[in-house]
Amino acid sequence: MSAIMLYDYELDEHCYRVRLLLTMLGLEWEPHAIDMVPGEEEKQPHMLALNPLGRLPVLKDGDLVLHGTEALLTYIAKTYDGAKTWLPDDNADFGRVMMWLNFSCSVLGAASQARLQSLFGTTGVDAPLKEASRNAFRIMDDHMTKRGYENGLWFVGDHVTLADLALFPAFALSRDYGVDHDEFPALRRWIRRFRNLEKFTTMPGIPDYH
Amino acid sequence: MTAPTGWIPVALSSEIEAGASAGAVVDGREVVVWRDTSGVAHAWEDRCPHRGMRMSFGFVRGDHIACLYHGWQYDTAGQCRYIPAHPDLDVPQTIKVPTYATKEANGIIWSTLSDAVADEATPGETAEVTPLRSLYVDCPAAFIRETLESASMPGFTEPEGETIFAAVADSVWTLTTGEDRLYIGVQPVNPSQTALHVVIAGPQATYAGAGQAHFSTWLETLRRSLEDGAPEEATSAPMTTAEVA
Repeated sequence: MSAIMLYDYELDEHCYRVRLLLTMLGLEWEPHAIDMVPGEEEKQPHMLALNPLGRLPVLKDGDLVLHGTEALLTYIAKTYDGAKTWLPDDNADFGRVMMWLNFSCSVLGAASQARLQSLFGTTGVDAPLKEASRNAFRIMDDHMTKRGYENGLWFVGDHVTLADLALFPAFALSRDYGVDHDEFPALRRWIRRFRNLEKFTTMPGIPDYH
Repeated sequence: MTAPTGWIPVALSSEIEAGASAGAVVDGREVVVWRDTSGVAHAWEDRCPHRGMRMSFGFVRGDHIACLYHGWQYDTAGQCRYIPAHPDLDVPQTIKVPTYATKEANGIIWSTLSDAVADEATPGETAEVTPLRSLYVDCPAAFIRETLESASMPGFTEPEGETIFAAVADSVWTLTTGEDRLYIGVQPVNPSQTALHVVIAGPQATYAGAGQAHFSTWLETLRRSLEDGAPEEATSAPMTTAEVA
């Protein structure tokens, strides 16, 4: 019956991850704009009924309601990506993708907090958050540097996966909170590659080269 | 610390693909390093004359680089050629980005950070190189040098053997263990940060893959121990002019 519904905020990088996957898979969905800033609508009773954590994004697919970005991404991939591109079937590669998804929702949380402080806060970005983001990018850059030695173009395996998609926004948006790309040459080449994927779509803060 | 002169390394050649741009900081000066689609590398002042935006945030179209803000396009001589908001305007010659003398040697992009070409050749020319990586370290160059002078680097072709450090020039160091030699271009970023642009002085047939991974892992370990052991003042923020005075 109904289409997929995404409770969405345009400037939120987690919502962007989900929009990106839906777009890349060529799926139809119904966006439901939530006034996260300044309204905090995601913490209002009608939204808490969908996600008691009071966070976005929230996905509704038929009767199923899901929250938590990684849950959304893996559910969408498992359900709608018949080719199993984004969530590989191979056990080892599946494990690796899940490892980077975990990295994205744990360690990279610092990057997402730093960005929110920078965009919506009044006192600037906390130095430890900036430092933690930089350390996370170093780990990613070291990984992609080594992948380069074995001619690997993506975080896992021989094609793009959810690992790349989940890690992409934090780095692509890092200038929003004052972390430059100078120090991360392997990540610079990787995001260029990612941007050139068919059906790639941007969000505010990720320039659409014209 | 005196400002470096002569050829300064600003990036590994392999890190700047055709049609790509990146920022680099040399002694606090912001530089854009970019490669046009015909494959020629350029290093300029990283500043659009229009609104002061960093050109390294922009994008390359053919032999032009365009500013991210308003799309002003500059040719390979730094001359502005096109302003999207005034498509019919014959752009005045005065709208120009300062360009720097730039060359590539030993798998590294070098610049003098002025329009003058340095008199001397790139130090320590080497026949064949295998690109390794750029390593960004939160330590002053002098401290890294001190550490490398007594470093022990396991070789790839022969693990055992004494490691010999040599400073070919202020901006070029080498580390040799047995047959293996790392060639290191030194880019001082600011008083507390340094970029090392590292290649292996040897053929890809020997070092591509496992050899690269071997030395890259060693460099990661080196970075960790350098930053753990850096002198107190080295890890703090760069001094302001007021503090120096």
